[in-house]
Amino acid sequence: MSEERFHLPPLARAGHASHCKRCLSGLPGSQSEVDASKLALSFYCIGSLDLLGAMDTTSQTDRQSWKDWIWEQQTKGRHGSGFRPSSFMTPRPGLGSSETYTEYDTPHIIMTYTALLCLSILRDDFLKLDRAGIINFMRACQRDDGSFSIVPGSNETDLRTLYCAFAISHMLNDWSGVDTTRAAAFIASCRTYEGGYGQAPFCEAQGGTTYIAIASLHLAPQLQKPPLTLVERQSTIHWLLQNQDQSGGFCGRTGKDADACYCFWCGATLEILDAKHLIDANSLVRFLASCQFKYGGISKAPGETPDPYHTYLSLAALAMYPPGQDVAHNEAASWRIEPIDPLLNATKETVKWAREHIPA
Amino acid sequence: MPSVSRNSQSPLDTPPLFSERPEWSDITPLDQYEDANPVAPIFYSADYKDATDYFRGVVKTGEKSERVLDLTERVIRLNPAHYSAWQYRYETLIALGSPLDVELKLMDELAVKFLKTYQVWHHRRLLVTLTRNPAPELKFIATSLKEDAKNYHTWSYRQWLLAYFNDEDLWQGELDFVEMMTTQDVRNNSAWHHRFFVVFQSGLREGETDRARVIKRELTYVKHNISLAANNPSAWNYLRGILDANNIPYADLGEFVKPYATSPQDLPVSDLVDLENPPPAKGAELPCAPAIEFLADIYEKQGGQDGLRQAAELWRSLADEHDTMRKKYWEYRTRDALKT
Ligand SMILES: [Zn+2]
Repeated sequence: MSEERFHLPPLARAGHASHCKRCLSGLPGSQSEVDASKLALSFYCIGSLDLLGAMDTTSQTDRQSWKDWIWEQQTKGRHGSGFRPSSFMTPRPGLGSSETYTEYDTPHIIMTYTALLCLSILRDDFLKLDRAGIINFMRACQRDDGSFSIVPGSNETDLRTLYCAFAISHMLNDWSGVDTTRAAAFIASCRTYEGGYGQAPFCEAQGGTTYIAIASLHLAPQLQKPPLTLVERQSTIHWLLQNQDQSGGFCGRTGKDADACYCFWCGATLEILDAKHLIDANSLVRFLASCQFKYGGISKAPGETPDPYHTYLSLAALAMYPPGQDVAHNEAASWRIEPIDPLLNATKETVKWAREHIPA
Repeated sequence: MPSVSRNSQSPLDTPPLFSERPEWSDITPLDQYEDANPVAPIFYSADYKDATDYFRGVVKTGEKSERVLDLTERVIRLNPAHYSAWQYRYETLIALGSPLDVELKLMDELAVKFLKTYQVWHHRRLLVTLTRNPAPELKFIATSLKEDAKNYHTWSYRQWLLAYFNDEDLWQGELDFVEMMTTQDVRNNSAWHHRFFVVFQSGLREGETDRARVIKRELTYVKHNISLAANNPSAWNYLRGILDANNIPYADLGEFVKPYATSPQDLPVSDLVDLENPPPAKGAELPCAPAIEFLADIYEKQGGQDGLRQAAELWRSLADEHDTMRKKYWEYRTRDALKT
């Protein structure tokens, strides 16, 4: 409980940074699943370094080759342009500059969002960005019900893709690729009696999709503000806070075990809803401190294997909820994380860069 | 993050490489394109490299044949998140007019093996949309929930299936099914959520048109479950859900809630069992936070100096004793109520 004094260990900054650098330098064959989402993994690794203020511990050569690789993933074709997860479906020798992608190697909407953030972290000038192509691509992904498919023509959809389309539009400062009214109706259809949002209509309220719903509603300038009624806002705040359990961590659904990533998803949603001050931040910090793996990286729960996803989201949660003066003592400096923009899920500096360099 | 370690197969189960099979000699395997310095290069196993080289080769020629089903199955077993392999497999099944019940059998195995992979469930949806035979799916889902009773994909699939086909026969056994799930684990929020979906979001179905009766039944059900396990946020959320959805004042539940918000020694001893208001089970840890909160909501709504004073008192007991994790929240509720 927050009353009790507890000894806060330092945040193992160097260990967490090297966990991410290790992943960037190579993954074992048992991680082949990353093929289909490698740009997202890159974002969690590079984003962790950004949150730790550790980008300057990487070499200019590395940063340049990361940028080159990410630009390699931008691809164009009949559904417009965007970024694919990796070259996992691209045969050697790759696409010539005049060639277009096949139906099995199209851009992917989540990867396009993470690519824009990665390139912003790497302070790219975005001269190579095909803005008009991305707008067309988002149009090709939006479905009749307002939701977005992960790749054009697929039936695979959930709220995550909608958030990515909104975040991309926000970064481009161009909303002509999305129909926000239809999208907002889809978001509303995912709301549940508990006060959170499920990943699709009729699904159970879940922390990640609730973040995505609330952040999306706040990103779109065309939608009415505030997007929730007073009663809705109260019940969402209530449900989010209820998810903080006795461990101090947050669970993603009522009655499940706490998991480090939901400290971000629930915590960021509360910040967006202006209810940040209601969290027991010291307990949250205590939980995340216990999720640190002794050889670097942060895992979803104490004693589990760390990964870049949970490392990034834990650090992002700590950026919003640092330990209070009363518990940090001499370790305070180790817990300092770069300030984060809760709507786009990147450091404020990176978001500033994105907003200044991505629009046409 | 996909970091699932795959079940390592014994050498006997490992099929030969495609490059070693004469029947594949007409296909040119295509290496993956990688520039000099990929981010997070994956050190692919020989099996995976072989299967994906042949898969890229097949995609290039556009072949859709029986052997492509073998090949895509192999790729999927090695990487169930490979959405292009799933997509190509689906198109191949359609092109060949393959029997989809056979495919669903295979999916029964893969769904349980890769329970947390979105693609497995997505593929299944596509198949069932074509077979238009949703009934056996309910049984499959029930089996799959035995592996993981709170699996999000599994429940979503069930919700989709019911809503998409919206067939009276499908809905028929749903209330019994979900009751069985809550009986197995009264804290399974997925089951409570599903119950809300079935009762309040599925339209007015046969036998459910008398809403007053349905609401009464649901209130009885949830009160009974709270009496068995008082400290169960899923049940309390469900109770609030019923009341909110039907504009029923919380005060109507005052009689029921009070004993749960009271210390056991302060409870009047009574031998009379009020069926409308089942008392807490013996040994329940009382007072419990969700009941205190519920009662405070009633007082807040009642308003006036007296109501707000009683609400504030309850919030203080939550902040200081019964729900200290949310101390700041209860203090905020108190300030907020007294302000107006
Ligand atoms: Zn997690």
